[in-house]
Amino acid sequence: MRSLKLAVNGTPVVREVADNRLLVDFLREDLKLTGTKESCGVGVCGACTVLLDGNPISSCLALAVHADGGQVTTIEGVAEGDRLHPLQEAFLAHGGFQCGICTPGQILAAKALLEANPHPTRAEIQYWMMGNLCRCTGYYKIIESIAAAAGAK
Amino acid sequence: MVPFTYLEASSLDETLELLAQHGDEAKLIAGGTGLVNLMKQRLVRPGFVIGLRALKPLAGIVEDRGLRIGALATMQSLEGSPAVRRHAPLLAEACRHVATVRVRSMATLGGAVAHADPNLDTPPALIALDAQIVARSGRGQRKISVDQFFTGYFETVLEPDEMVTEILLPPQPAGSGTAFLKFLPATQDDYATVSVAARVALGADGAIAAARVALGAAATVPVRATAVEAALAGKTADEKTFHDAAPLVLEAIDPIADFRGSAEYKRKMAIVHVRRALAEAVAHADRLA
Amino acid sequence: MAAASRTGTAVGRPVKRVDGVAKVTGRARYSGDFDVPGAVVGRCLRSPHPSARIVSIDTRQAKALPGVRAVLTGADVPDVRYGRLCRDYPVLAQGVVRFVGEKVAAVAADSVDIAEAALELIEVEYEALPAVLGAEDAMRPTAPVLHPEKVEIGPGAVAGHHAELRMYPPIPNVISQLTLGHGDVAGALAGAHRVFKHSFTVPSVHQGYIEPHTCVVSVGADGIVDIWAANKGPHIARAHMAVAIGVPENRLRFNPVYIGGDFGGKGSLMDTILCYYLALAARRPVKMVMTSFEELTAGNPRHSASITLRTGLDRDAKIVGIDARIVFNAGAYAAFIPGPTLHGYSELAGTYRVPNCTIEVLRVYTNTVPRGHMRSPGSPQVTFAVESHIDMIAHELRLDPLEFRRRNAIVEGDLTPLGDRRRHMRCRETIDAGARAFGWDKPKALGVGRGVSIYEHPSGSSGRSTVLLTMGKDSRITILLGAPDQGTGFHTMAAQLVAEHFGLSMTEVEVAQGDTLSTDFESGAGGQRLTMTAGQAIADAAGKMKEALTALAAERLNCAPSDVGMGAGGSFSAFGTTVDLKSLVGWAASRGKAPFSAKGQNTATQPDVTGFVAHFAEVEVDRETGQVRLRRMVTAHDIGTVINPILHQGQIEGGLVQALGQAMSEQIVLKEGAVITAHLGDYKLPTIMDIPELETVLLPGGVGPAPFETAAIGEMSNVAVPAAITNAVFDAVGVRLVELPVSAEKVLEGMSEKAHAA
Repeated sequence: MRSLKLAVNGTPVVREVADNRLLVDFLREDLKLTGTKESCGVGVCGACTVLLDGNPISSCLALAVHADGGQVTTIEGVAEGDRLHPLQEAFLAHGGFQCGICTPGQILAAKALLEANPHPTRAEIQYWMMGNLCRCTGYYKIIESIAAAAGAK
Repeated sequence: MVPFTYLEASSLDETLELLAQHGDEAKLIAGGTGLVNLMKQRLVRPGFVIGLRALKPLAGIVEDRGLRIGALATMQSLEGSPAVRRHAPLLAEACRHVATVRVRSMATLGGAVAHADPNLDTPPALIALDAQIVARSGRGQRKISVDQFFTGYFETVLEPDEMVTEILLPPQPAGSGTAFLKFLPATQDDYATVSVAARVALGADGAIAAARVALGAAATVPVRATAVEAALAGKTADEKTFHDAAPLVLEAIDPIADFRGSAEYKRKMAIVHVRRALAEAVAHADRLA
Repeated sequence: MAAASRTGTAVGRPVKRVDGVAKVTGRARYSGDFDVPGAVVGRCLRSPHPSARIVSIDTRQAKALPGVRAVLTGADVPDVRYGRLCRDYPVLAQGVVRFVGEKVAAVAADSVDIAEAALELIEVEYEALPAVLGAEDAMRPTAPVLHPEKVEIGPGAVAGHHAELRMYPPIPNVISQLTLGHGDVAGALAGAHRVFKHSFTVPSVHQGYIEPHTCVVSVGADGIVDIWAANKGPHIARAHMAVAIGVPENRLRFNPVYIGGDFGGKGSLMDTILCYYLALAARRPVKMVMTSFEELTAGNPRHSASITLRTGLDRDAKIVGIDARIVFNAGAYAAFIPGPTLHGYSELAGTYRVPNCTIEVLRVYTNTVPRGHMRSPGSPQVTFAVESHIDMIAHELRLDPLEFRRRNAIVEGDLTPLGDRRRHMRCRETIDAGARAFGWDKPKALGVGRGVSIYEHPSGSSGRSTVLLTMGKDSRITILLGAPDQGTGFHTMAAQLVAEHFGLSMTEVEVAQGDTLSTDFESGAGGQRLTMTAGQAIADAAGKMKEALTALAAERLNCAPSDVGMGAGGSFSAFGTTVDLKSLVGWAASRGKAPFSAKGQNTATQPDVTGFVAHFAEVEVDRETGQVRLRRMVTAHDIGTVINPILHQGQIEGGLVQALGQAMSEQIVLKEGAVITAHLGDYKLPTIMDIPELETVLLPGGVGPAPFETAAIGEMSNVAVPAAITNAVFDAVGVRLVELPVSAEKVLEGMSEKAHAA
């Protein structure tokens, strides 16, 4: 067991965790932040994407201790109160989701993209977002949503 | 997930002490994308996992005639590093091809090298760049040519108490051109069916002075195609030369049949992609000259 | 993209999804997200053998592990078999295992880690038995018989018209044998100018939903069993569960959940019955989440199939008859589909005039993973065969494949291959619209290939939908639905339809999903039916509510109901006096007459109109590697009124890319009966970098069978895609692939064989 001190969506968190606790389980079960999902378990699908110090990571492949001292952003931290982030507005307006299970991961990955590259080309969007799998949309409207959010900023 | 004790030291020396203490029972963890996966699948069950996060100095990239890359430099940092793009664009290109943005933000070059998965993208690039691996233990430090570093499937020359601390890239031959090809015939997010990293230096007369050609996903280790290199030396840098030299790659490789192709198909693709990589490397060499 | 045929206050508008904010903020809760106090984790031990007798199971060590709450084997649960139609699936293996991955024991423990450790402590001794892995082999007289017991068959084993169905006929391992057709095929083929025969193989693929099967079962002290399950048809699930566990339906509460993708694969109880028994044994609620490994190796993927087609043509290259033999590999259990076989046979060659046709469909047991439903069950397999076969014939006859299809396309007045009459047949128009947009006849670069495929599929209409509309005191209408929206847009569609019926905006309606105790029967999504069934139920309820409002208005306006007319925004007028909806309802409320509800149901009519789609693909083949690059695609759809252009287009795009996976990279690979494509590193789903440039053409003026002339779209978009691609590959390099998926290696091999044969 170790004591973890980190910030989650801007809020300081201090918790005891088992050495082998995965970050995704820490977030979902210990902090009850169920917006982050687990699916493939091997870091391929991206459903478990969170931001660690601004970088997208697979929380299903990260030990909770890896986030010690860091800043974790989950989907719950993307909106500001009731004010949705431009990406969330864009996904809503352009149909960038259907069943919604991959959506938290998509939005977090896209958030990191727009912070690194505010006006990505379509090819740059595809390159960055490869690794966030979606089975419902066929991706076209995800690209459109991200491009729209970039345009709106 | 298997149970283990997590240890973290704040200095390299303390880390090496922990490693010496626990030896065979310990695994080092940097980004963790390789190790955590294996532990989740219960394939690897270390009693101790030694974290390297605190060793910030090991993440640096220093220009020193060539490049001194800290073992904890992430794929993402290497991909975007002006120093890497200047001195060794081949490495930046290989890093760009690694998996997904999430893996690139976590996975480290030292980790990739120590993990020794023959399907990885960066080791062939390191071979083509004539890299040296710096390994340290409580007993001292040694430099190992990357050509000798990989010994088998997920196996290296590292002793249980050794860790990779740096990857050294010598100054690249003036005017050399490089290419990295990752053949992905199915989806874009996959291990390569075969990958080729090539570096070609042209002489003053425009003929090939020297070449280094390496392949990934073509054997149980990343391999150097020395027969191809020998066949190129002194030859005119043209399609016929590449065409004649490429089939000699078969001497270096021993592909395994898997979902990405039969062994026979991979052999054919190795020849095709060695030829294409040479052409591309030479094209880049022209521009530098 | 052509505009929707009709736009009103809500229908035809690209409104935001009613579940949208919940999904983009992460607040939407899927089955695994509910925090049920005291819940423990359930995990299963699975068979490593495709066929074996269980000699012994020793669970003592597992039970003794601290944190383990219960360990169950077949001996600890009733030997009751479950099935959506054929009840052959045990809760846990009973004496034998029939596929690699079959559940042999289950553990409930305080954490996943403890559960996994406990599974490792269970010792099972097996005696391996002969296994049969291929469907044809399974039908041989010497094949081992998987189910020697008499399998109980629920209601619903109906053949449909023109068909003869034999359930469990005297052929080894055959679950169902369906024969149907019309006309005199033998005579037609005997007299044909040319007869062509080709065979095709389509392997299994997984639905690929990102949310794995999940269920949480909590047995309450009050006798109510609370269930949160990733199941798209909770009322059906409840009915089956009640039978399986002997608990009355009104004590089973399937709670509303979001579902992370279904694609046909989440219509069965999967682990829910087992989860109940674990919950009883553990005296705690139990949550079971299938790992991705379990989903890929032991879920309920698409049936694999072998199809042989024989087609006869006359001298004018017109089809005179088709004889089809379809063999579906069902795996070890028949339980996972609600019908006797897959309905895909019913669309065989539905785009063509086929005066004589016979089809034989066999569904066969093998010692492999049990198969289930996936987006238009059976149709992608059948359509890959038909559209490849048609293309091969065209090329043999040296006819342009598009022109050959046009020549044989079904037109108004023709009977379908199964002998049905339908109206508003726009097959040729769909082909032409797509071909125009695609530039079929335009010159193409060297090495580029073009392919077309076409498909027909009517809107689904099976099952029962019930909708309850409640007019609130504030004149907002709440729509109570009994099944989840698994992503296809059911809930948003319902809101738009209700708003449209009353001339309201989306802000004036609200959608709620109730649990199975508080809602009436709703079959839920499946067979692209909700547009029709929920559409009808909504129309029925809306009609009743309008009647009630009219009566209230008549009372308010002091006239007869027949004098009252409904106007824009739900206002009511008589003799020049108008009362708006809000006032009317407020007035009614003050007299205790509001809120009030109206219930609607569907009428289960079979539509007599159908829908067509034509896909066009352009590929480039790298001749040194065989790699097929999909340059662009055009998809042309004969549609009805589009309810929501964004949702509609989303179904077109999503189905196409899902099918791209089936065409280019996905395959459930079996080795000695075990699925070895066991994680997403090996089972390759399409990524955002794999999608082609896509243009969609929507034919204007469509007539759909559902209210407001809407029509289904969900299963139109995936079925015929693979053949368009393989037809394009043939056009590019002359290599004909008769099995999926396309791979660079297969294409290269094909090119090399062609070169040697030349």
